[in-house]
Amino acid sequence: MAHSVNHRAIRWLRAQLPELVAGGVISSDSATAIDRHYQESEARAPNLGFAILAAVGSALVGAGIILLIAHNWDELSRPTRCLLAFLPLILAQILGLFVLLRRNDSPAWRESVAIFDVAAVATAISLVSQTYQIQGSFADFMRIWLLLSIPIVYLFRTNFGALAYIIGSAVWMLSKGNWSFNRPGEMFFWLLLLLVIPFYVGVVRQRSSVWTFRVLSMALIAASAVGLGVTIDFTRSDLGGVAFAGFFAVIYLSGMIRQGGASESLNVLSVLGGLGIAITAVALSFEALWHLRPPWADPSFEQEVGIGIALCFPIATVALTAWSWVRRTISFSISAASIPIVAVIARFVAGAARDTARPADNQYALAAAVLFNLYALVLGIEFLVRGIRAGSVARANFGLLVIAALALARFFDSDLSFVARGVGFIAVGAGFLIANVVFFRKRVQT
Amino acid sequence: MKLLRVLIFAVVALAQMAVPAWAVWMRNQTLAKGKTWKFRTAPVDPVDAVRGRYVALAFAAEKVPQAERLPPASVAYAFLKEGSNGFAEIDHLSTTAATGNNVMKVEPGAWWDGSQHVDFPFDRFWLTEKVAPEADRAYASSSREEKANAYVTVRVHDGDAALEQLYIDDQPLPEYLRAHPPH
Repeated sequence: MAHSVNHRAIRWLRAQLPELVAGGVISSDSATAIDRHYQESEARAPNLGFAILAAVGSALVGAGIILLIAHNWDELSRPTRCLLAFLPLILAQILGLFVLLRRNDSPAWRESVAIFDVAAVATAISLVSQTYQIQGSFADFMRIWLLLSIPIVYLFRTNFGALAYIIGSAVWMLSKGNWSFNRPGEMFFWLLLLLVIPFYVGVVRQRSSVWTFRVLSMALIAASAVGLGVTIDFTRSDLGGVAFAGFFAVIYLSGMIRQGGASESLNVLSVLGGLGIAITAVALSFEALWHLRPPWADPSFEQEVGIGIALCFPIATVALTAWSWVRRTISFSISAASIPIVAVIARFVAGAARDTARPADNQYALAAAVLFNLYALVLGIEFLVRGIRAGSVARANFGLLVIAALALARFFDSDLSFVARGVGFIAVGAGFLIANVVFFRKRVQT
Repeated sequence: MKLLRVLIFAVVALAQMAVPAWAVWMRNQTLAKGKTWKFRTAPVDPVDAVRGRYVALAFAAEKVPQAERLPPASVAYAFLKEGSNGFAEIDHLSTTAATGNNVMKVEPGAWWDGSQHVDFPFDRFWLTEKVAPEADRAYASSSREEKANAYVTVRVHDGDAALEQLYIDDQPLPEYLRAHPPH
């Protein structure tokens, strides 16, 4: 299995070799062998810096060509303008063919030509549109562009292209949505996003570039979160709590399963998933979030699809948990993984309110909120305990932070007396201090 | 493997060419075969950073008096008729597809005060960089005054609508700008 390459460490080690030989720690044969080994691995490693520069450079050249063509072409006839619009595209495609045939091993070439081609497609479409006064919404334009770009991501294995595509999908979703009312066709977002998932899975499997994995993960999580928010709003089903609980739990579990052993520091999926779970738990501890809408009459087919998508996440959480249970590889926080279950129970409780009572304070919404207060407390304590066990100050304090956030939320929210609030805050603050003191003492001892 | 890659790239490249090429072909069909309609414009004016310079258009005919809201759909079909003043009006709307030189695809919007509002498939008239600022000024002054003498000609053919020219004072925009140079 390939592993991530730490170039700085390699350089350091190679610089140390003469000293190690002089000190008699290793033989000069071993030193030569080690040196040769790392020389090869350095040579094999793609040069990320060069790839970035090349990509930025070609994006600038592309933009320059677009500006030159768009500038001042009064005197040209329509067919001539039309032909000019196709010129960058033809150039990009010829370059693309060249790269596929001759420079397929160079990430810098692949990244640059992919960006050039994708920009050329946008140029051709928009220039033709201007010339012939062809109009459509920005969303239509984005969708065609995305669909024409996604094959390029795979053909040229371009990380920048994948990143741009993910961001583009989210932009499409937002430009499609209308804040006053939702327009049909928004659920197409999930299909767009699904198209890039195999590429992302490839990046996850490869394990060669930690940064690619991190950046693409963050983009994907952010885009999906935006999409899920719009989806929930579109379905008018009050499934937001359940869906987001499932969403972050899936991310958290995927991260924990991917990293396997608990000894490693947490990867980006586990961190963002854990963070999302904590935020969702504290947010759902407010009663106002359990004020439901009166039942919505006859959801459209697309709204039903949206509900199905929203429910996919909690279902996937249960499946992932069961799967790791069977394989006996449970190294994750049980309470974090069970947040969708708690959310489903709370949603049923809140849903028991009478239709007319639903949108305001009622005892069922209060019960759901109380349930999430208890849950967030348990979650914070488990994060704290797991952090201490793993020897991580950051994770232990994150557990405390969840508890503190919960306390803060109740400070603003509840009708408790100032004395009770004060005592609560002192208790949480003391917890912080004691836990950190105990923690550091334990660390010093070990 | 390499051959397969190149073949797939060829198909993708073809699709990338086909999308704008098809748009051009469709537009030429409409311009050649469509019937010309005149739409009176109402004033508005932003600048689109992404797609270059244009005159923003709004139309008085973008609402249709009818008792009920259109059923939710992404596309509606507007049946056009010529009003007594020679300008186009929407006769009625339908959500079932139709053909003819009086049928134009529109986007249904909100319904209020007994009128269904729709968005025409054209809301901007693109200009070249040189004439854009002058044109924008000329258009704004002419459609804000009581005269309301700005209109566009549109070719309509089987649901497709091709914006042809922007007229100010009954003159095509380039002629109008030549006759009224900026002071």
